[in-house]
Amino acid sequence: MTRDRAQALARRGSLLTAAALLGLAGVYVRALVFTPIERFQGPAQKIFYVHAPAAWSALLAFAVTGLLSVLYLWLRDRRLDLVAAASAEVGLAFSVVMLTTGPIWAKPIWGTWWTWDARLTSTLFIFLLFVGYQVLRGAMVDPDVRARYSAVIGILGLVLVPFIHLTVYLFRTLHPDPVVMKPGSPSLPGEMLVTLLVSLGVFTLLYLGFLAQRYALGVLRDLQDEEASRALS
Amino acid sequence: MPRNWLAATGNSPPVADALRQALAIAGKDLAIEWRTKTALVSSLAFAILVLAVLFFARDPTAVSALDIAPGALWVTFTFAAMIGLNRAFLLERENRAMDGILLAPVPPGAVFFGKLAANLVFVGTVELVSLPLFVLFYDVGLERGLLPLLGVTAMATLAFVAIGTLLSSMVVRTRFAELMLPLLLLPFLVPPVVGAVQVTARILAERPLSEVAGWLKLLAAFDIAFVTASTLLFRATLEE
Amino acid sequence: MPPAEPVLRARDVVRRFGHRRVLAGVSFSLAPGEALLLVGPNGAGKTTLLRVLAGLLRAHGGAVERRGSVGLVAHHSMLYDALTARENLQFFARLHGADSTRRADELLDRMGLSAWADERVAAFSRGMTQRLAIARALLHEPAILLLDEPLTGLDDRSSEQVLDVLAELKRRGRALLIASHQLAELMSVVTAVGFLIQGTLRAVEPLGGRDAAQLAGRYRELTARG
Repeated sequence: MTRDRAQALARRGSLLTAAALLGLAGVYVRALVFTPIERFQGPAQKIFYVHAPAAWSALLAFAVTGLLSVLYLWLRDRRLDLVAAASAEVGLAFSVVMLTTGPIWAKPIWGTWWTWDARLTSTLFIFLLFVGYQVLRGAMVDPDVRARYSAVIGILGLVLVPFIHLTVYLFRTLHPDPVVMKPGSPSLPGEMLVTLLVSLGVFTLLYLGFLAQRYALGVLRDLQDEEASRALS
Repeated sequence: MPRNWLAATGNSPPVADALRQALAIAGKDLAIEWRTKTALVSSLAFAILVLAVLFFARDPTAVSALDIAPGALWVTFTFAAMIGLNRAFLLERENRAMDGILLAPVPPGAVFFGKLAANLVFVGTVELVSLPLFVLFYDVGLERGLLPLLGVTAMATLAFVAIGTLLSSMVVRTRFAELMLPLLLLPFLVPPVVGAVQVTARILAERPLSEVAGWLKLLAAFDIAFVTASTLLFRATLEE
Repeated sequence: MPPAEPVLRARDVVRRFGHRRVLAGVSFSLAPGEALLLVGPNGAGKTTLLRVLAGLLRAHGGAVERRGSVGLVAHHSMLYDALTARENLQFFARLHGADSTRRADELLDRMGLSAWADERVAAFSRGMTQRLAIARALLHEPAILLLDEPLTGLDDRSSEQVLDVLAELKRRGRALLIASHQLAELMSVVTAVGFLIQGTLRAVEPLGGRDAAQLAGRYRELTARG
């Protein structure tokens, strides 16, 4: 990809992100003003409209990284590595949102910041795995080796995710969640469901916008390296 | 394929050759470790320390030794193992001996199995020596539970040693291998270690294993998935 | 005598490190009984080229054709310091599927190391290590032997021993590729010269009876062309 095209992609990405952020503002308004208050949890429940979609975006991001890792090892196209790495970074950002909104939600309802609830726990470990992914990438100088090793971690992560979920589920059947909390329940009444779905859409757009920007940045950095090495030889 | 990939030497089938090569690599690793014994002694000392520290790191009037025993055992096993795992590939970097192995017609799978086997013997040794000390320190009864405990230990150990072998082949190239290996490996320890602790707790409490059938299935599935994945992905960690 | 069929051929071999082309299209061929000397400055890509030719690295462009197996003697010994000479050779022989004990002892004998067969490599001098490394490379009787700076750090006696081995290998019809800047010592063995400058082989030509000084001059001439 040429520098111009990368910069164009970055611009389009920022537009998409800006649009998504506007959408996010709209979601906030809708959630806070126009969506009914949940009976048992009160206003604190509204953070769910950010918490759940952030979790979804993080999962999407890491799934994309995992799949692109498989493709990279098969096709060895450097671009696949750049997109996978961009997606992993964006996933980290969304995980942080999920992991911070979780405790903020839990505190007013159960009086405790951290609950070892299934989803939070799973996300925590996958988050840590992708922190490791970033640290490993940072420690590798050779870009081809870096791409290969990242792909290995990405694929291992993909295989790990179902096992983490299973582990936490099995653990939970021994120590069940408080009855009140059913975050992902599809049986949300109309208004709330709409807010949730709109938020999901906005977060997905946000993911795509961030991904485009981060990928474009990766391409530009790569081009810079290329020019630098050409100047040396 | 770029390397000297002779599928068979002589008339024996390729798998037999690969197995022999894997055993040669494992044997060589263990012979070298036995000469110096550094990693082995360090791991053992570490295991004893962790067992002892965890025993004292509680209020004995509130928490019984039996309550923390399963967790203590598994924290000991995994952390002691992590000390020894980097050894396998560090010794190949010394004089670039791995290049010597790769110049021979050795399939990557054989290299992986050789390294895995050596690591399993290493970690297994540390575990077998730590176990009597564990029984001693925590005063647990293992008359009927020994065999099941060895079984679950084997299953969980296979899991984290397989993944650890794969990860160490990558992190030895970085400057902070000792830090990077635990960082990358720990998320993968969650399913096998949590499962192993649950099963160990049942065994020590002398409860029927049928209660933990779910965990045992998890361990088995995890073993299959990750030994396969690690074997297949190992090739990607070799320089090319 | 008609020229023999080449046993090693490189066609436009390219190898990158990130974006930098370490090898930018290297082509040559090597026939049995030939000893090609690869001359070039540090960083020209000699070591990388040898690793690509040995099959340790993949060529990013072009191709390497081999008619026979390859042995490599590199800067690092590829030996285990904690094991004895014999144990090292037995291990690598086993990997090649050869009869390990017999082969190991044969080569120890041939390289004059039998007396130290049960000494750990850690105790070896540089000359002994190099001879053992050559022994390791010869375990599977390769048709092609690649050597990266084989005489570096060796005293005169060890150098002589190594040169004798190389001469004998050449007589027996092996193909040799030697990367080195020690021109003078290798003149007795070399049959052809290649000049690797900035990732390409600027020239590959028969030695033609030239001496080290003349080769150095030729090298300067080729580098001046830019």
